[in-house]
Amino acid sequence: MKILIVDDSSTMRRIIINTLSRIGYTDVVEGENGKSGLEKLGQGGVEMIITDWNMPEMDGLEFVKTVRGQNPAIPILMVTTNAAKEDIVEALQAGVNNYVVKPFTPETLKEKIESLLG
Amino acid sequence: MDQSEIDALLAGGGKGSKKPEPPPAVPPAASAGGGSVGQDASGHVIAELDTVTAVTERESNKVMDQLDMIGQLVARQQKLITDMMRHEGAQAPGVQQAIHEVMSAGKEIQDKVFEAMDLMQFQDITRQKLERIVHHLRQIHDYIVDLLGTGLKSEAERPSISHTIAQTGTTPDENKAHADAVVEAFKSKKKG
Repeated sequence: MKILIVDDSSTMRRIIINTLSRIGYTDVVEGENGKSGLEKLGQGGVEMIITDWNMPEMDGLEFVKTVRGQNPAIPILMVTTNAAKEDIVEALQAGVNNYVVKPFTPETLKEKIESLLG
Repeated sequence: MDQSEIDALLAGGGKGSKKPEPPPAVPPAASAGGGSVGQDASGHVIAELDTVTAVTERESNKVMDQLDMIGQLVARQQKLITDMMRHEGAQAPGVQQAIHEVMSAGKEIQDKVFEAMDLMQFQDITRQKLERIVHHLRQIHDYIVDLLGTGLKSEAERPSISHTIAQTGTTPDENKAHADAVVEAFKSKKKG
């Protein structure tokens, strides 16, 4: 399964990639903002997206809305520091399937990924 | 951070950073064209904060490289020990027991390495806290520009900011129960 990780922090992308590899997902592509995420998505084969919210050029919310306009089915997990209730609801309304607030444990990321892939 | 980077940081240029420097919040033309001291200072502080962010991200990745390397070395050691366990001379119960203990210690090291990697999330959280400070500095800068009717407003594009980042700590999953409850409530409402 190919997973797209979109985050402007290279440290955070590495942490997510490490967590994914520990739970058996090693096929990963990376984007550093919504714009490059869309480019990677356009190259095909992506079956799940993990995205940050606060990024330059195109933020995670705009990215999710654009993806949902093209692909209503792909599972999207938002991993962000935005913890306010209204932020979480806004992300869910935009089309995010589940939501993780940073900092997270690998167990939480695993739990959310497995529930999305159900 | 080495001495040249510290010197560059103090000089406000951040030339030691390998990351491309973000554009200055106050365009040089604005400063040269009679921008106030306040405008120059805010642009200078924003540049400093950007340098700090770039340097800490780069150094965090170096720590991650080292942790990766330790993980790989332990994995190699585990493989060598597994091979050794099959050796004829290692079949005595005492030797097998000792080997198991070494294997178990190796597994503990690997778990600690993964734990340390996960703790590096603090870098992204700190970066976002700085980004929030930059956001406020830019607001002050633009306010001064409006007030004085001179200089240029900030134009360089920045990431959006988290409005709750000031309260974000470094304890993993501290907001998990809250986020899960909001997600569940949203899904139930949608179903109903």
